[in-house]
Amino acid sequence: MAWTRARRRWAWAFALVLAALALAVPLTVARRHEPTPSGTPVNVLLEDFKVGRDAAVVPAGTVSFRILNQGPTTHEFIVVRTDRAPDKLPLQGDGLTVDEDAPGIDLLEEAEGLDIDDRQTLVLDLAAGSYVMYCNLEGHYLGGMHAALTVR
Amino acid sequence: MRRSPSAEVVAAGATRRAAAGGRSGIGRLVPRLPILGDLRLGRRLGWVIPVLIVLVVAIVGYNARAIAQQRGSALVVNLAARQRALVERYTTDVLLVVDGFRADPEESAEDVREPVDVLLDGGSVRAPQGDGSRVEIPPARDWRVRRKLEQDRRLIDELIRTGDRLLEGGRADPSYAADVTRLRVLSAQLSSVSNDAAREITQQTEASISRLVRIEIALGLFGVLAALALGLLLRRAGAEQAAQFRSLVNNSSDLITVLAPDGRIAYQSPSVQRMLGRGAAELVGTALGDLVHPDDRDDVNSSLTKLVEAPRATDTFGCRLQHKDGSWRHVESICTNLADDPRVNGLVLNIRDVTEQAALRKSIGDLLHNLARRSQGLVDRQLELIDELERHEVDPDRLQELFRMDHLATRMRRNVENLIVLSGVEQRRRWSESVPLRDVVEAAVGEVEEYSRVQVAGIHDLTLAGQAASDVAHLVAELVENATSFSSPTTMVEVSGGPTGNGYVLEIEDHGIGMSDADLAEANRRLAEPLAADNIAGSRMMGFHVVGRLAARHGIRVQLRHHWFGGVTALVLLPAALLGSAGEHPAMTPPVPAGVMASPEPLLLANTTGSDWQPRAHLPLRRHAAPAPDRGRDADAAAEAGEPVE
Repeated sequence: MAWTRARRRWAWAFALVLAALALAVPLTVARRHEPTPSGTPVNVLLEDFKVGRDAAVVPAGTVSFRILNQGPTTHEFIVVRTDRAPDKLPLQGDGLTVDEDAPGIDLLEEAEGLDIDDRQTLVLDLAAGSYVMYCNLEGHYLGGMHAALTVR
Repeated sequence: MRRSPSAEVVAAGATRRAAAGGRSGIGRLVPRLPILGDLRLGRRLGWVIPVLIVLVVAIVGYNARAIAQQRGSALVVNLAARQRALVERYTTDVLLVVDGFRADPEESAEDVREPVDVLLDGGSVRAPQGDGSRVEIPPARDWRVRRKLEQDRRLIDELIRTGDRLLEGGRADPSYAADVTRLRVLSAQLSSVSNDAAREITQQTEASISRLVRIEIALGLFGVLAALALGLLLRRAGAEQAAQFRSLVNNSSDLITVLAPDGRIAYQSPSVQRMLGRGAAELVGTALGDLVHPDDRDDVNSSLTKLVEAPRATDTFGCRLQHKDGSWRHVESICTNLADDPRVNGLVLNIRDVTEQAALRKSIGDLLHNLARRSQGLVDRQLELIDELERHEVDPDRLQELFRMDHLATRMRRNVENLIVLSGVEQRRRWSESVPLRDVVEAAVGEVEEYSRVQVAGIHDLTLAGQAASDVAHLVAELVENATSFSSPTTMVEVSGGPTGNGYVLEIEDHGIGMSDADLAEANRRLAEPLAADNIAGSRMMGFHVVGRLAARHGIRVQLRHHWFGGVTALVLLPAALLGSAGEHPAMTPPVPAGVMASPEPLLLANTTGSDWQPRAHLPLRRHAAPAPDRGRDADAAAEAGEPVE
């Protein structure tokens, strides 16, 4: 039976949809298969103005910090090794931010510019010791945005 | 050529489709767009213009909206950026007051609240240019921005509460040190959060502008493509229409000729081959006058000359054009001056071959003329006989009966002569010498049956050119007959005259019921533009056609008007060229048809004058009233109106 012009048109449209699906589905699936970070996972929750974590003590070795910023504003996540208490870190001259170059402060890694609902993973090899995690945006640390982590 | 009914149905359908633009739905609107003029797009092309219009409207609308949004966005960014400075000023003001310095933290508190409130809830703010004007800001819609601004507002509230505590407690308050620290921390947090919100807004604005630019580029490209498509389609439609027009012109039975201003043929449609046996190419560049019959050239030149001076004017004229085989074709031309149209730049002539109609018209005219001549001869012989009887009759009653017969025969003769006039045949015999105007008028009155109701007064001592005397008498007789027929038998019809700047006016006034405006206009039109004999069938104003034709022969103008007290006045303007003074001419001695009048007096009414004129009772005045040229019995010009002309 000869196809009418309208039927041919629909057939073309259907073929285009199928082609689009064939291209889009594999890409979507591929994005969901992110590599699973190795090491001890520590889930970190950032929010105004505190740092939450699901483990305060972890074994020495590779630690994966899975960071989620719940906002409502942008934050950063910094890990330093120090024997000081989390709320006793030295401040810079402005009195508002931590002086990361001060003696007794060993800056290990930082994740900057975490916007609302941003996720990021930091993988660090941590030796046994005391660590502090905090946000060093102006006033955030002083507002209470810090937490301790002990590695054994 | 006759067409079959089915062909007519198809043609009618095509006409309807063409009138509707050849499409349905929105496409029907397309031909009405003024930009297209007469250009009509085909059915498959009609969608392009609506799509283009929608596209243009979308682009313009989107641009307007985007520009308004971006203007607001710029102000929003500015507003968010000001937040940090305001917070710092408030903090400073609080600390200054606590330390005993003069400052106004309350005003600063109001200022610090305003931007975030406006950004969140919408409202007006002072314009950044500082001219006192205010700008409306819409509420933030993005959820990220809103969350950051809400946090900003919470912190501001806490900042102000802390500031209030410091202002109230001062340095003496035990919590002074903690409150100052808290104030500075909150201020720092607000700076951070405000920066964050401003950055977010800025990023969104940048993204919005970037999106806008992409959309504009896409729309612009699409618009360009649509315009190109439209151009191609319009060109195609124009080509189709031009081909259709060429086909119509080439296959038309009429000629379409464009005359350049110098009278040469600038364009000639190919149909000239059929009409004149000549090729269009051989005529282009030649003068139209070379084709026109020598007798018609003056008229054609006159018409074209008048037309050249009137842009956009249209005129019609008839003439004869020479066929290649030497024969002459009668044509009618409608000529329009399109010299001011750069696409034409000349006179456009639409020429139709009417040779067959002309032959038919001539045939009808000849037929009418022949019949009329034969009848005229018979009526004249009848009148001779009656006249003979009248001369020998002494019994008053029988004489009266003979007079009535004489009247009827005279009216028959006028009818016959009307036919001769309508047939278009010129009078073959004319007076060689001038005739007193008063005699002509009185002769005309004498032809009317109810002559006793006619009063002639005030006709000046002028003479009328001999060649017009018979026709003027006929003309006036028709008008007087009309006046007596359409007025009460108890009223008089008055005939008077007076000089004008360019001639002499005869006035024939009746006191009848008058005419409606429409009838009067129609009658005047007939007087000005009498129809040919073959077009007059069915006309109830045949008498006016006769008068009009007679008047046209001599440049006489005849017009009917309402009389101010009722009735109608007929004005007959005799041009000065036909007139002369009475002293210039000898007494009229008109040739008298043999046997028509035994009396030696050449004109029956010649001895009567002005208002005291009375017809002579012993003679049948009507049929001999007009001064008749010596043209023989069968050619007597005195006519009789057999029926009223109104």
